[in-house]
Amino acid sequence: MKTEADYYALFEAYRAGELAAPARQELEHRLAADPSLAQQLTDFDRLSGTLHGYGERLRTRRKLQAIQATLDAETAAEETYETGNPLMPAVHISGVERTLREFWGSHRATIAVAASVAIMAVFGTLLGIEWWKAAQKPAPTYGYTMLRREVERIKRTQRAMNRAITQIDGPKTEEVSPGKFSGTGFALSPNGYLVTSYHVIQGADSLLVESRTHEHFHAEPVFTDVARDLAILRINDKDFHGFGRLPYSFKRTTADLGERVYTLGYPREDLVFNDGSLSARSGFEGDTGFYQISIPVNPGNSGGPVLDERGNLIGIVSGKQSDVQSAAFATKSSYLTRLVDSLQTAAVAHDITLPRTNLLTGTSRPQQIRKLQNYVFVVKVYE
Amino acid sequence: MGKELPSYTDAEFVAAIRRGDDRALAQLYRVHLPMILHLVQQNSGTEDEAKDVYQEGVMVFYEKVRDGSLELSCQIKTYLYAVCRRLWLKRLAEKNRFGGSLSDHEPYLETGAEQDLLDAQERDRQFGLMGEALERIGEPCRSLLEGFYLLDKSMQELTTEFGYTNADNAKNQKYKCLVRLKKLFFTQYQEEESF
Repeated sequence: MKTEADYYALFEAYRAGELAAPARQELEHRLAADPSLAQQLTDFDRLSGTLHGYGERLRTRRKLQAIQATLDAETAAEETYETGNPLMPAVHISGVERTLREFWGSHRATIAVAASVAIMAVFGTLLGIEWWKAAQKPAPTYGYTMLRREVERIKRTQRAMNRAITQIDGPKTEEVSPGKFSGTGFALSPNGYLVTSYHVIQGADSLLVESRTHEHFHAEPVFTDVARDLAILRINDKDFHGFGRLPYSFKRTTADLGERVYTLGYPREDLVFNDGSLSARSGFEGDTGFYQISIPVNPGNSGGPVLDERGNLIGIVSGKQSDVQSAAFATKSSYLTRLVDSLQTAAVAHDITLPRTNLLTGTSRPQQIRKLQNYVFVVKVYE
Repeated sequence: MGKELPSYTDAEFVAAIRRGDDRALAQLYRVHLPMILHLVQQNSGTEDEAKDVYQEGVMVFYEKVRDGSLELSCQIKTYLYAVCRRLWLKRLAEKNRFGGSLSDHEPYLETGAEQDLLDAQERDRQFGLMGEALERIGEPCRSLLEGFYLLDKSMQELTTEFGYTNADNAKNQKYKCLVRLKKLFFTQYQEEESF
């Protein structure tokens, strides 16, 4: 009678395929006939299988640990190398720095996201403000939506034209740098106040006022009216001692249709005269703040004075409509005088004394211009 | 280990590891370690815990590959991630912190990792029992069986080591030991089962 151990020897040989054919057949025969023997074989299989698996598991674990050890050694070597000092094999990190590193390690993704959000918010806000400013142009209050597209188109051309007016690329005048933009301006009161168009000085960093005799004065904006396209400047130069008595007066009422008017301006480096008539008492798109005048104006004329036959100032050149023949627009002087009145009573009062008497009345036009030309200036804008 | 490490595709990895190529195993281990380090360290684990979990995860993968029973329906990376994620969840639950939840994305692929892990756990249990049985069997049976099965020594080596007169004697002794081991193992097994 065989012991269980003997059977195990038999089973092992059987599983290893070392049994001779007759012995194997006999065993298989017995296995089929004897369920308890079959059970023994199953147990043996499980036992040896588990043992082998266990051995394999332990070997694998050792293998993996060896790999990990190699990796650790490599990292350690790299870390030492990073110090750049072979004499100092270990990097000593203080507790605080370790905490910080851990914090950075686990939160850097969040921090990066937060930073990008912040950056995007900042730039988004800036761009948004820019865009909003651009959209803040006086919007026409037309009820007809059918007109809208057309109006928008005209508005765009008007804006483009306004830009064109300010962007004079005049030839260099003497030693003075030409500035980025330039327009025309004229004296408002003897103590150094000037008027020009708002769009001339729009976005200006510094302003330089240049007279016909090439005297330069620094000026700063005192008040701007975007809707009426007006800007009041004040010369704040030490060398400035006043304009002297102004020869023209400001008309406080609306001028009549058909009035012969003229303007002086600096569309080029020299003073240019142009004349025409007052064609309408409303401006672009029926804006009652403006006159329409049939004076040919060019970029650089903006801010120039518009005077009638008797030497009354009736308007300030603002712009023109490019798709209509000879249609220029000038801000009405009545708005200017009202603005000056309100400035005089403002909290920070400005001493703007408008000239009351008119020295030009009754003189011929060349004589008027000779007197006038000293009070018309180039306004140079640096951004 | 040279600096120019061979790069494998997933299929090549599986093939090489099945052949028993240890370099492929090392390379696989190296490639995916950072991912699991990150996972565990992001979820309140230490580096050592991460390495433990990772070794266990690689072990599951390795044994499946050696078995030839691996049905990989996704990348190895995803599979390892899923396995290690499960393992770490389990550890977290054992630590009873954070209610065993992870702040990461759960692999939405059907990785088969769940079932493989259950198999692995069952194997773990058996191996644990086997270890205990071996502890209790006593000398010289323990050394003999460990030598043969766990340390992969040949019968010839063991014969000389234990001072048997010939290999047949050693073999006989081994079979007797096996019978004893079997009794220990299966009684323990049944005790566990009846729980």
